[in-house]
Amino acid sequence: MSLLPGLGIARGMALTLRRFFEPKVTIKYPEVRLDPPPKFRGRLQLLYDEWGTLKCETCFQCAQACPIECIDMGGMDTRGRFHVHWGAPETYGERREESALRRSGRPVPDPAYQHFAAVDLTALDAILDEFDHDPARMLQILEATQGAYGYLPVATLKRISQRTGAWYAMIYGTASYYGHLRFEPAEATRQAAAVDAHRPSEGTYLSALDAALGGRSDTPGTPGTPGTPGTPARA
Amino acid sequence: MVDLLKTPAAWPTILLERAGAPDPTDLDAATRAGAFDGLRRVIRNFGATATIALISGAGLRGRGGAGFPAAVKWRTAGSTDALRRYVVINGYGADPATGTDRFLLEHDPYAVIEGAAIAAFASDASEVIIAVRADATEAIRRLESAIGAAEEAGFVGFDIFGSGHAISVSVRPVQGAYMLGEETVLLKALEGKRGQPEQRPPYPAERGLFGMPTVVHNVQTVASVPWIIRNGAEAFAAVGSADSPGTILVQVRTPARHGIAEVPLGTPLRDIVALGGKLPAGRSIKAILVGGPSGGLLPPDLLDTPYAFEPLRAAGAHIGSGSIVVADDRACIVDLARLLTRFCAGEACGKTIPCRIGTRRLVEIADRIVEGRPRPTDAALLEDLSADIVASALCDHERLTTLPLSSGMRYFRSELDDHIVRSACPAGVCHPIAVAAGPISQGDHG
Repeated sequence: MSLLPGLGIARGMALTLRRFFEPKVTIKYPEVRLDPPPKFRGRLQLLYDEWGTLKCETCFQCAQACPIECIDMGGMDTRGRFHVHWGAPETYGERREESALRRSGRPVPDPAYQHFAAVDLTALDAILDEFDHDPARMLQILEATQGAYGYLPVATLKRISQRTGAWYAMIYGTASYYGHLRFEPAEATRQAAAVDAHRPSEGTYLSALDAALGGRSDTPGTPGTPGTPGTPARA
Repeated sequence: MVDLLKTPAAWPTILLERAGAPDPTDLDAATRAGAFDGLRRVIRNFGATATIALISGAGLRGRGGAGFPAAVKWRTAGSTDALRRYVVINGYGADPATGTDRFLLEHDPYAVIEGAAIAAFASDASEVIIAVRADATEAIRRLESAIGAAEEAGFVGFDIFGSGHAISVSVRPVQGAYMLGEETVLLKALEGKRGQPEQRPPYPAERGLFGMPTVVHNVQTVASVPWIIRNGAEAFAAVGSADSPGTILVQVRTPARHGIAEVPLGTPLRDIVALGGKLPAGRSIKAILVGGPSGGLLPPDLLDTPYAFEPLRAAGAHIGSGSIVVADDRACIVDLARLLTRFCAGEACGKTIPCRIGTRRLVEIADRIVEGRPRPTDAALLEDLSADIVASALCDHERLTTLPLSSGMRYFRSELDDHIVRSACPAGVCHPIAVAAGPISQGDHG
């Protein structure tokens, strides 16, 4: 409570009045446009959601759009897979540190994070020759690479980028989208086994169907799973 | 093992005409049964314009879900100026519980190859790509041997039927994402890119694979084409309903049995559900899930809805993957809708914000309701959010993801209110007494 009745209101109105005559910062954007300094690139900011995890889904769309390829990133994607691929190669060692991993929003699973180790690239070069270094056949190249190495080491992705001319961010964005491609050896990923057997989310859906049918589990063979093809029983 | 359900004798068979053949890849047997007769006629007698007119007269619509007229796609692709054109056949069959496309590819690969070749001829395309789920190894094997045999016989490949036209047909196994069922996503995958949908228009028929005009069809659409050429547009238009002629494959799943059947479009849902046999004694139908993971939940009093594109959309469902699941009274609608939405949200590609964040919020709201922590405003919030997602959606996946919850609310509102207001699950499936051991972590939604 103030001493004088109405003093608070008067103060507030005074502030309003002062602001009223100050020069305006807001511009009517589409009609009026600011002339930003030539080196201004905006500020990159990653937001956190209410559980404290990064909202960034590592979809690599910003990295793909960046004309000078300065964006690279680390984080968890929608499939619960983790990606750390940011910064210059010289700083990878530092990025591998626990604190760096933790800053990226992930509990550290293993201190020996071997993603960036050099691998023997002869097998990859043969694959690239086979597919004619054609970026349009990127999926086949990636699948063949995973077939040869068991997973997609960063060194192979860099090599593919170098030899096909496709941007690294593009290749990485493609590889991180498809559920059957992985960036860690199969035994290292906890969901790898599940991925090999069946997509986990497909299981969710199939179990929802089972629940809808009253928890019936005696379905002879789940439809949609690889298996023997049905024989037409025409009558 | 998916069985073929016995359908009434009055229902015509168009897609599965030759499905009973002992060896579907036997070209001689297939040609004796009429395979490649349509392609021969198209090339020798009709020409592209007359073929498109015939298909247009038959009223063939795309079986991939949207029901777009096939002839319009062909005409658009053929009349767009380009260096080359493609025909892409979507046999991905994204719905993990539905094997209709795979069934057709396995049992009559020649119908698909011939139909695709006709589509390619009519739209002046030189390359046909049949995209198949990589785990459907048997379908891929049969398709490849069928293509080999057809090439050897001169039905596809260079110089088909001695006409000088070249149509190369190839199979591409694709895998790794549910979204590949969407046409622009599939084209991205075939280009070797991240599978995210594109704004339409321009439609793929104008700018598709590698920027070239591309006709994208479901396997069932092209498999109907040879039959239309052989039997005439009138015969095809006489089957099914007036605005959606022809037949379609459905996979019916009831507590009693499940299997694949060919049904004329416009058949009342009741007749299709009846193919699945009787429910166990003492059970009654509670809801019918029409359209796969993103399908609508329809109540039993809508059993007379015709199974066709527009009536289903009006009722709050869609043809989708051709899946029809009958849930009996043991099922909880809210829980079922939640699980379906969670699946769809988890499979979202993340390109647009309404989908990436909106569908996740839908799941969270549904989780709250099921786990007994609802807020009084949740029902209104669900409605608003669903409407916003539909209004701002980029692709159909995101629009349809709202269907299980919105149709569930539309027809089973009292059950939802029981969850929200009384914290009770009438079906006894949910245990809405704060089962959640803590705040939901994000990992739950992956």
